[in-house]
Amino acid sequence: MKNAMGVELGESERTLVESYLGLVRVLKDGKDLAPFERRNAMKAVAALWQVVNGLDFDPGNLYEIGV
Amino acid sequence: MKESPYWNPRHETMPRDQIEALQVRKLKNLVAWAEAKVPWQAARLKAAGVTADSIKSLKDLRRIPMMTRDEWMQAQLDKPPFGPLLAAPEDVTVRYHLTSGTTGRIPLQVLDSMKDWEWIAEMWCYGFWGFGVRPADIVFFAFSYGTFVGFWGAHYASEKIGCLVLPGGNMTTEARVKQILSMKATVVCSTPTYALRMAQEAKTMGVDLAGSSVKRLILSGEPAGSIPATKRLIEEEWGAKAADTAGMTEVGTIMIFECEKQPGGTHIIEDHYIEEVVDPETGEPVGYGELGERLITSFGRGFIPVLRYRTRDLVIRVPASGCTCGRTFDLYEGGIRGRVDDMKLVRGTNVYPRAVEAIVREYKEIDEFRIHLYTADGRQDEIEVLVEIPERDGVNADRIVGELAKSLSQAHEGLRFGCKQVEKGSLPRFELKAKRLQDDRIVIGTAGERRVTA
Repeated sequence: MKNAMGVELGESERTLVESYLGLVRVLKDGKDLAPFERRNAMKAVAALWQVVNGLDFDPGNLYEIGV
Repeated sequence: MKESPYWNPRHETMPRDQIEALQVRKLKNLVAWAEAKVPWQAARLKAAGVTADSIKSLKDLRRIPMMTRDEWMQAQLDKPPFGPLLAAPEDVTVRYHLTSGTTGRIPLQVLDSMKDWEWIAEMWCYGFWGFGVRPADIVFFAFSYGTFVGFWGAHYASEKIGCLVLPGGNMTTEARVKQILSMKATVVCSTPTYALRMAQEAKTMGVDLAGSSVKRLILSGEPAGSIPATKRLIEEEWGAKAADTAGMTEVGTIMIFECEKQPGGTHIIEDHYIEEVVDPETGEPVGYGELGERLITSFGRGFIPVLRYRTRDLVIRVPASGCTCGRTFDLYEGGIRGRVDDMKLVRGTNVYPRAVEAIVREYKEIDEFRIHLYTADGRQDEIEVLVEIPERDGVNADRIVGELAKSLSQAHEGLRFGCKQVEKGSLPRFELKAKRLQDDRIVIGTAGERRVTA
């Protein structure tokens, strides 16, 4: 997996990016999340966005999922 | 694995050409976002013929129109309370803050979403980590925790790093000093003025702060954190290292910080901002080493895109090589030097409050001061500096006042400064941004223009 600068990510970094993408997907598609699931996942996404952004993945904004 | 001295090692040590490539990519994204989501911004960009696709290099930045605080205020007045500047519905936001009211008729009001608020803390992490703050630290905030954004982001940054946070809001100065001592705080965050205020209070209490566990002070809110004499005084009083930082509500957080090497300046967080330095009159860029006004473009808070915002802050940019820390982020030598509108013209001589403070702080015996401008005999500008000098053994207040007047005059082309000692405790003390300049002139400058008093 390469970032927007063309740099290959290390294994741990790749796992962090995949975790972020997985959480965003759940928040977009998950209709049946309990409040504790949705709100804690949103907090986690807000934090992981900083990682993905810092790794040069141009993650855009997350307002459409309330983050 | 050895601990990194950098919060984001890859970005903070990136070669200049890669930093610029990163900035161009983020600028294109920001322009595209503003075009798509903020009609107010889109109209400005369209009028200037700017599209995201037309951004090819950092030179294209100069085609984007500058944004002023007046425009932001007017936009809020036209469409209260936030103006037509928001990129998404307000219901996704979690924080509301205001500017501190240093400039302008009305404060600017801003909102942040969960992601943007987390980013605000992230910027402070660059500064805290870069100055050596680590999870084992105990961080005390001498901060009032109100709607002014101030150290809010720093509080969350400290939590993110894993420090124990002591939120010192709504406390007297004495209570704050006591808590710093009893909880063995290792880091204290405050304005430079308030760091000195706490040191004065500690002396009154008979406490030796230099012998306390405090090892670092993180200063913000005033340019004084980079005035060498003020900083030296703070470091002596606390027996600790002090770092300057500066931020603004318009972007929600800090954009510059001083690293542990203390190079006498502040690094620009260049992977999250583009900072330009321009001539405040012409708007033309100035080179390294020249004084100018900083403009900021922020890649962080997507909710209110900020493109080429005129900060009115005066700075001198120098290359990253001015510091030995290994960061490739350029520096503002001497931090924020003052504000474009700070400068006062007194009988034809430019007077900057920061320059006056730099001289006043050479006299450790002076506890507090005020710069007072007034009109004498209904026609002439006068400037005086009022000082508080507490009685202490071996202190000759008359001598200090005389020497101060002479030093100030010498530093200002022979301009006469009236220096007076005033009663202890008669001058105001400040917790947030200090306002030490009082301009009571009826006639301002040399052209005889009269102040509008109605």
